[in-house]
Amino acid sequence: MSNIIRLVWFDLKTELRPPVWIITEWIVFLVQVGIYSAMISQLVTGVDDYNHFLTVGFVIMITFDMASHTGRHFVEHAHEGRLPYLLSLPISRSELFLTIALQGGTELALMLSVPLTVTLLIIGNLTWISVVACVLALFWLGFGVAGLMLALSFIAFKSSDLYSAIVTGLSAVIIRFSTVLYPFTFLPAQYASAAVFSPLTYGSDLVRFILGFDPTYLLNPYYAVSVLTALSVSTLGLGLVLVQRLVEGVKSA
Amino acid sequence: MFAVETKNLTKRYGKTYALKNLDFTIDENEIMVLLGPNGSGKTTLLLILATVLKPTSGQAEVMGLDVAAHSTQVRKILGIAFQEARGFWRHKPADILRFHASVCGVPKTKRDTLIEEILRDLELWDARNKLFMHLSGGQAKRLEVAKLFIHRPKFAILDEPSSQVDLRGKRKIWTQILKLREEGSTILIATNEVREAEYLADRVTVLDKGKPIVCDTVRKLKDSITGGDIVELEIDTPDTQTLKQALSQIDGTVKITNPGANRFNAYVSMSESWVPRMTDMCYRNKARILSIRVTEPSLDDVFLHFTGRALRGASDE
Repeated sequence: MSNIIRLVWFDLKTELRPPVWIITEWIVFLVQVGIYSAMISQLVTGVDDYNHFLTVGFVIMITFDMASHTGRHFVEHAHEGRLPYLLSLPISRSELFLTIALQGGTELALMLSVPLTVTLLIIGNLTWISVVACVLALFWLGFGVAGLMLALSFIAFKSSDLYSAIVTGLSAVIIRFSTVLYPFTFLPAQYASAAVFSPLTYGSDLVRFILGFDPTYLLNPYYAVSVLTALSVSTLGLGLVLVQRLVEGVKSA
Repeated sequence: MFAVETKNLTKRYGKTYALKNLDFTIDENEIMVLLGPNGSGKTTLLLILATVLKPTSGQAEVMGLDVAAHSTQVRKILGIAFQEARGFWRHKPADILRFHASVCGVPKTKRDTLIEEILRDLELWDARNKLFMHLSGGQAKRLEVAKLFIHRPKFAILDEPSSQVDLRGKRKIWTQILKLREEGSTILIATNEVREAEYLADRVTVLDKGKPIVCDTVRKLKDSITGGDIVELEIDTPDTQTLKQALSQIDGTVKITNPGANRFNAYVSMSESWVPRMTDMCYRNKARILSIRVTEPSLDDVFLHFTGRALRGASDE
């Protein structure tokens, strides 16, 4: 266990000294909520609490950014030669993967601490139950997104530039064709049919359901939990197999 | 029991064989040097033994432990210095070594002293608080091998340990490697630097295209080249042709050339026994030896002899 903590802390401390990245993300969140969301919600009349709706959306976007960053990081480590070093250390493979998951989880928790607290305060639902339920839902979404990024790692093997371009493009599409910024029931049919393929749709609707948003705007939460579970298990499994092959030097395409 | 043993070890990347049916052993407390051009399979073998890569087929054992079945136990007795030091761009050398020492179980009481000693010896002390990304290529490489010298594992693997390092740095690294062996470690080094192999190796295995071509001590490998030693002689003699004839009849002579007056180049096997025979002959023939210069074959010549290609040329392929 001590080696797992050492490994997690070794990387984490460089992120936290000083924690520029995390604080910048918090400031961006506060600007989004305080200015953009406050303004735009006055233009939207179809949803009663659009300001709250959008604030949850920003939390989902941070979760997505962090999870994709974790997935990408892992792929970069394989590419840069750091993964072989980690694989040669006297720890088991399961401990190593646990370390990577813990590191991603800790970074996500740190990153979400302020935005989630602010969101719950704005909504007026800052209770232990809502915190725990939201964190679970967000982590579940995070696992799915990190797995998705890992599953795309075979592209990085061919070209890391192409991988970055595809991931950036895909991220934009996954966010826009989802319910992060607007409710599912308001989406035109052709957009809605695309949104059902975005994991963020299920993540954001699940968190909003937990926080007591009007369920008529949202997808069935049981459906959302099932999809996120299936996504996490399949993409993480596939991603780990592909990364293993990438480390082994075999083109996995 | 061998410290390391592979049987029919094969590693395939797609349709390309990096290693093919490799049988290979290292004795305990031995420095084995793998010599071969780029792409000969050296790094692949090291990575399999370090449990980073899995073999496609065959078996590899380190201290009696199968690397595939007991990988975690194997990692507890070995350490590896990779060919390229990469991956910790935003960390400082002292922090990287402290982290490595703690994960590898170096006692906390010894850690700081050992790190300072190695950093000073490898001339990295002044750079200890620089970010890794700001180190020069040579400094990064020295840091990579420093990890191993702090860990001091029972089985040490080094991939091109002194590449990118200046001559002074090379000597320091080589001295540390020899010290590690004196303390009882078994050492496997992959290199394509002939001087490094000659300086360090107890035995050398020449690898080419994933197969071992030959394995022996440096001395025996050199001696195995018929006519590999060149003895340049300057002899005061009234009859050059008679002396040339006499030289060519000495046991071990392969060829004699006569590049100038009183000058002879003898291509011989095992010059250490040929030279005394030659001096006897000169004494008997009343010829006065003015100078002798002996040139041994290099490991590059050994590689050329066994593969038909020069090591440097093969590296560029």
